Amino acid sequence: MATPKTRASSFSRNVPSTAAPQMPGVKSGPNGTLFLSSGISDLDKILGGGFPLGSLVVVMEDPEAPHHMLLLRNFMSQGLVLNQPLLYASPAKDPRGFLGTLPSPVSSKDDKPLDRDSEQEKGLRIAWQYKKYFGENQPNSNGQRDNKFEFCNEFDLRKPLQRQFLSGQRVECMSTQDSPDLAALHDRCATFLKQFFRTDGNISGAGRIAIQSFCAPQCTYFDKEWHVLSFIRSLRSMIRSSNAVVILSFPPSLLSPSFSKRLQHMADTLLSVRAIPDEDKDLAKLLTGYQDMIGLLSVHKVARINTQVPIILEAATFSIKLQKRKFLVLECLNQAPVDGSSGTSYATSGSCSVSSKGGSLDF
Amino acid sequence: MAESICRALRDGALEGEHAPALTIKDSIDAPLGFDVFAHVLAQLSSHILAGKSQSRGLVLVAFTRSPSFYVDLLKERGLEVNSSRKWIQILDCYSDPHGWKDRIMGQGKVDDATKEASGVSRLCKDVKDMDKLCSLAIELGKGLLGEGKGRFSFALDSVNEMLRYASVHSVARVLSDLRSHDLASCVFWLLHSDLLEDKVAAVFDYMSSMVASLESAIRASNGLRISLENLSLTEQNFRRAKFSIRFKRRNGRVRLMSEEVSIERSGITFSSVSTDGGTMGGSLLPKVQFNLQLSEKEQMDRAKVVLPFEHQGNGEPIEIYDGRRSLADKNNEAAGTMQMKDSSKVCLHCWCCYRITDVASNYSNGGIS
Repeated sequence: MATPKTRASSFSRNVPSTAAPQMPGVKSGPNGTLFLSSGISDLDKILGGGFPLGSLVVVMEDPEAPHHMLLLRNFMSQGLVLNQPLLYASPAKDPRGFLGTLPSPVSSKDDKPLDRDSEQEKGLRIAWQYKKYFGENQPNSNGQRDNKFEFCNEFDLRKPLQRQFLSGQRVECMSTQDSPDLAALHDRCATFLKQFFRTDGNISGAGRIAIQSFCAPQCTYFDKEWHVLSFIRSLRSMIRSSNAVVILSFPPSLLSPSFSKRLQHMADTLLSVRAIPDEDKDLAKLLTGYQDMIGLLSVHKVARINTQVPIILEAATFSIKLQKRKFLVLECLNQAPVDGSSGTSYATSGSCSVSSKGGSLDF
Repeated sequence: MAESICRALRDGALEGEHAPALTIKDSIDAPLGFDVFAHVLAQLSSHILAGKSQSRGLVLVAFTRSPSFYVDLLKERGLEVNSSRKWIQILDCYSDPHGWKDRIMGQGKVDDATKEASGVSRLCKDVKDMDKLCSLAIELGKGLLGEGKGRFSFALDSVNEMLRYASVHSVARVLSDLRSHDLASCVFWLLHSDLLEDKVAAVFDYMSSMVASLESAIRASNGLRISLENLSLTEQNFRRAKFSIRFKRRNGRVRLMSEEVSIERSGITFSSVSTDGGTMGGSLLPKVQFNLQLSEKEQMDRAKVVLPFEHQGNGEPIEIYDGRRSLADKNNEAAGTMQMKDSSKVCLHCWCCYRITDVASNYSNGGIS
């Protein structure tokens, strides 16, 4: 995925790779799309490169777990590290307090799990001839790692982001608690996005907007569902014509089902996070690595701009794990084999059934 | 398990985090919510008086019962309200919520609270203004601390009553303000879930870090018709209920616990009940059709099977099964057990007698699976 492919099919736009801008933090992908990193390298891989510029990412929260904050934190830190301006809105009275919890990127001197893998792979290079057909697993790991750092960093969730990244000009914060009809938030987003207006020439910069817990119950606009939807609609139209990505999290259980569905349909990329029970013996037996898991992430929709070809994911549900309690990784669920003839049991299990089909029954 | 709730409230909030918040939910099928609320209140108060808790005081916002009721309740449990140290303040939203009595009676006594209760209670005459209510509660709490440092707890009598006077978002604002206040140690409130829409009940689940719900311990077959059999079941619901708690832990996982609660004349008791295990986990993953694990009985039976050839390894001489008699039969003959003595008489004359013995011995052994 690091090297842009030539025309994969007749439906993809043929964009010559020389037109790709060499801006740190923005990667060009197939069909002339530009990507921003989500801050989590596993998520970028799953989504086919990252979040496309000009798209709206919606994260559905689980009322019992704060995992959406992990996604938001990585997204915000990534933007700040790459010098991309950020607008953050939350229902807290003092949103700047949240900036203190943003993780700091690990420096390359730190022990990273990637190193050991590439060492092993070098030894196997001779036997494993098929590696040359894979786009990403090239043996020149050093050069690739530098490129990767310009796009996506590994974040240490235990260390807070250094003060220099949080200086005034790059970060704007806003509280959404008191605005009765979201007009203030709308205006703020409009002024922020004006800096990144998209023209046909080279892009000058990219921006990020993070809106946390949209429609939290303590906000004044909580009951005004039509206002909420019209705000999202106008936000989407503003985003389409600018070089920015908006990530928005909302609790779907607090909205009426029809409005929650409408909001989900408005998303370009739709993710959801779910909590898992603690010390559950059944889950511990059925899933490997249950001890390290803190939650589940499901991908419901992936943005595809400029193409008619959809992304077909191998698995729709991933487990969120904290490696060494520092690094956030997403892994496919590894389950015990499921009897293939049980049609009814899939219906009750929701999106997990997709992952089980792909996983352990591939001989 | 109710102990763990009280412990969580006692330990209070960590620096930089919101205070733990508990919702106690009940319904018409299990109307024991207030008893549980009173129990938690009494436990927290005794921790505060003993100095074992993070909070040094408690502010009780009373909507459904008068302050004197609470004073008597605490006195019954041996907790003196008017002690030398001020530890409790009651914000009285019960006696005169809209200030009508004040306007009608003018200068006369508005609250007919007892002398004890009036010492610790403060009347609120306009409960519709939730912001003012919130700031009054915080003011009372700060008054409890005096000049000292520390934190205080909040207890809200009934969220349903608050929702009668104000909209969902203002009540939610009050709760989140209380929770996020620097001096708040813990917050807990009572909620009757069947009087609210699902969406509204979900709001309070969202805002709390522990949700304790009471469900009917006995499932009535038909909840609507009150017949003679149902009446006794419904009566039992007034005394017993299933108490389940969902803890939202810091690592993002949810801990589920379940107990049985019963109310007797002596008070409230919690007893553990056998859990049916991981119902939440079961809904997340598909049901496996074939079981890869052996149950205990199956494991024991498997251990009993005598392997046919070399690997018998239990110290006895190796017996090769030659297909004619079951090995257990041979073992029992060799050991000379009582029940085998009679039936081991072999009739050498006819094959059928031999066989009958064989079958009989199999039956008395219980067979080999």
